[in-house]
Amino acid sequence: MQRIFQMDGEETDCWLGHDGSRFVLNTPTGAVACQLDPTGLPGGYTLRAKGVVRELRLAVGPEATFVHMDGRTYEVGRVDPAERLAGSDGGASDDRLVAPMPGVVVSVAVKPGDAVEEGQPLLVIESMKLETTLTAPRDGVVAEMPFAEGDSFGLKDILAQLAPEEE
Amino acid sequence: MTISKLLVANRGEIAARVLRTAKARGLATAVLRHATEQEGPAHLIADEVVTIDGPTPVAAYLDISQIVEAAKRISADAVHPGYGFLSENAGFVAALEKAGVTFVGPTPEVIDLMGDKVRARAFVEERGFPVAPSAIEDDDPASFVERARAVGYPLLIKPSAGGGGKGMRVVREDSTLETEIETARREGERYFGDGRLFVERYIERPRHIEVQVMGDGQGNVVHFWERECSIQRRFQKIIEETPSPALTPEQRDEICETAAGIARAVKYRGAGTVEFIYAQDGAFYFLEMNTRLQVEHPVTEMVTGFDLVAEQLRVAAGEGLSAAQADIPQIGHSIELRICAEDATADFRPAIGNILLLDEPQGEGVRVDSGILDGGKVTTDFDPMLSKLIVHGPDRAQAIARARSAVQSYVILGVTTNTGYLDAILAHPDFASGDVSTGFLAEQSETLTAPGEDVSDLLMAAAALSDERLVSDVMQIPEMYRKMGGWRN
Repeated sequence: MQRIFQMDGEETDCWLGHDGSRFVLNTPTGAVACQLDPTGLPGGYTLRAKGVVRELRLAVGPEATFVHMDGRTYEVGRVDPAERLAGSDGGASDDRLVAPMPGVVVSVAVKPGDAVEEGQPLLVIESMKLETTLTAPRDGVVAEMPFAEGDSFGLKDILAQLAPEEE
Repeated sequence: MTISKLLVANRGEIAARVLRTAKARGLATAVLRHATEQEGPAHLIADEVVTIDGPTPVAAYLDISQIVEAAKRISADAVHPGYGFLSENAGFVAALEKAGVTFVGPTPEVIDLMGDKVRARAFVEERGFPVAPSAIEDDDPASFVERARAVGYPLLIKPSAGGGGKGMRVVREDSTLETEIETARREGERYFGDGRLFVERYIERPRHIEVQVMGDGQGNVVHFWERECSIQRRFQKIIEETPSPALTPEQRDEICETAAGIARAVKYRGAGTVEFIYAQDGAFYFLEMNTRLQVEHPVTEMVTGFDLVAEQLRVAAGEGLSAAQADIPQIGHSIELRICAEDATADFRPAIGNILLLDEPQGEGVRVDSGILDGGKVTTDFDPMLSKLIVHGPDRAQAIARARSAVQSYVILGVTTNTGYLDAILAHPDFASGDVSTGFLAEQSETLTAPGEDVSDLLMAAAALSDERLVSDVMQIPEMYRKMGGWRN
C-alpha cells in the first residue's frame, strides 16, 4: 500500500508490503525490511530496520507521526495518495502566500494588478506579538489581496495571491 | 501583616511554581483560569481555581478590576502576580492596596519609575551608576532624529514603555533610520499604548548580564549573584546560566554591588532584577530593572539554595529578609533551557498542536518547571514557552553535559518544540568556551539548524509500521500481491 511521507518539506513516495514473514518498506532508494515492537513504555517501541536497532518514542497524530529517537524529535507527515487526489485544488503553491499562523494584518503594500518582484514586501502581519513582512515568492502580478489593514486571519488563510505564471 | 491565603494572578509554569512554595509555607492557595483555557499543572496544585473571562484569554489576565474583585470574593489577603501580565502594572498594585489586599512585589511608585525606561535611566545616571550613550525623544521631539543620528551607528531604538524586546530595532545605516523609527513607534503604540521612543548606542557583541536583588522595603537589599542571559533569539532569552562565564571574581562583585546599590536607592521591596549590557572590554551599562520575579530565577535558586518565592512571601508578610549578604553562596553551576513550541528552522515560528505524549526528564540536579500536561493542547492564546528545564552541576562543563542529557531525553510529541535546537546550542564549541554575545544565535543560525544525520528511512519505517490503517490494509491484501513491493501506480 502506498503512502507519501513528508519531512522537512520534502515528500517521499513509499510502498509498504509484507513478504510473508516481515514488512518491507520500498522507498525510492531501496527496500527496507523493518519491524516495530512495543517496549512497554508509553509510546515506546524498538525499531529494527536497515540492520540497526533503535529505541524510540512515538505518537501518531491525525496528519503526522512524531518520533523521538537518539535524543531528537522528528515529525513525519503522512499523506494518503487517494485522499490527496480527491482534495487537490490545482493551484500552484508559489502563486500564493499562506498564513503560517493566525494573526492580524498591520499594513498592505500592494494592490491587485501591481507588478511585483521576488522578495518585494507585499504585506506586514502580526502573529504572536511579532511583526513579520511577507514578500513575493517570485516575480509576477498581484491577483488578489484578500485582507485589508486591521483584518484578522486564520491559520492557512491565503494572504496574497499572484496571477498564474504565463508559460 | 500576616498572609494566610494567596491568589496567584497568573498561569502556566510560573503559577504552578509559586503555588508549590505557598503551599509548603502552609498558605491556602488559589489560581486563575480563563473559561476557555486548558487545564494545567497549576490548577491541580491550587486549593481553589477562580474562573475569569474576557474577550480573549490574555485580556482576562489583564483585567484589573475583575482580578481584584476575585481576590476580595475568595478572601485572599495577598496576590502574587508571577511575571508578565499585571506583574509590573502600578495601577493593579494601587487597586489591590485600595481593596486591602497585599501585593507580593514592590510599591507602585517604584514600578512606575522602573517601568519608564527613560525615567529609570535618568534616575540611575543621576546617582552615578553607568549608562550607555543615548537620545530621548521626549527631551525634544522635533530634534529626535538628529539627536539619534548623533548617538552614532549602530544604534538601538526602543519604546520608552517597552520590555521583553518588543518593538526594539537595531539600525546600522542612516538610510533606514527614519523608517525603523516609524515601525518601532507603531509597535510601541500597539503593545504598550505608548509610541514614545528612545535610542541608545548599540554595543557590538554585547553580553546580557543581570543581577537578582531582594529588598525589604526599608533600605536593606541583598543580591543573589548574577545570571548570564546572552543566548537570545529575537531579543528574547532562551538559555540562562549562573555564574556568568565572562566575569572575573572582581567584576562579579562590582556588577552585583552596582545592582544592589540601584535597588537600595529606591528602597526596593521584594524580588527584582537589574539588567546590564556587558561590553567585550569589560565595561557594563545599566539597561533596565525588572520589578518582578524573572522567568530564569530558578538558576539562582539552584546555586544559592534559596527559594526566591519564599523570600518574596516573607518580605510581603513583613518578616524581612532571611539572610545577610555573607550568607548567600554561589555553589556550582546552573543552566536553564526554555522549552518553547516553535520551529527553530522557520524563524522561530510559534507552533500549535496537541500534546500526544509527554515524558519529562528527571534525576540528580534536574528540575522541570512545567506549564503543560500530557494530553493538553498548545494554542496561540499565550506565550509559546511550555516549560523550563533547569540543571545544576558541580562546574560549568558538568552542568552543560547534564543539560544535554536531560534535553535529549525530554519527550514532547505532537507539537514542534525547540529541544533539538537547544541541544545544538549546548553542543556548539563557542557555547562550551563561553565566547558568546547576544548576537550568537543569529550569527550561528546555519550551524545550529543544520540537519543531522539522515535517518529518514528509519523514520519512514516507524511512521509506516505505526500507521494502523496502513498495516491493516497491507495485511488484507492476498499474500501473493503483498510481496509486490516494487509496484508503482
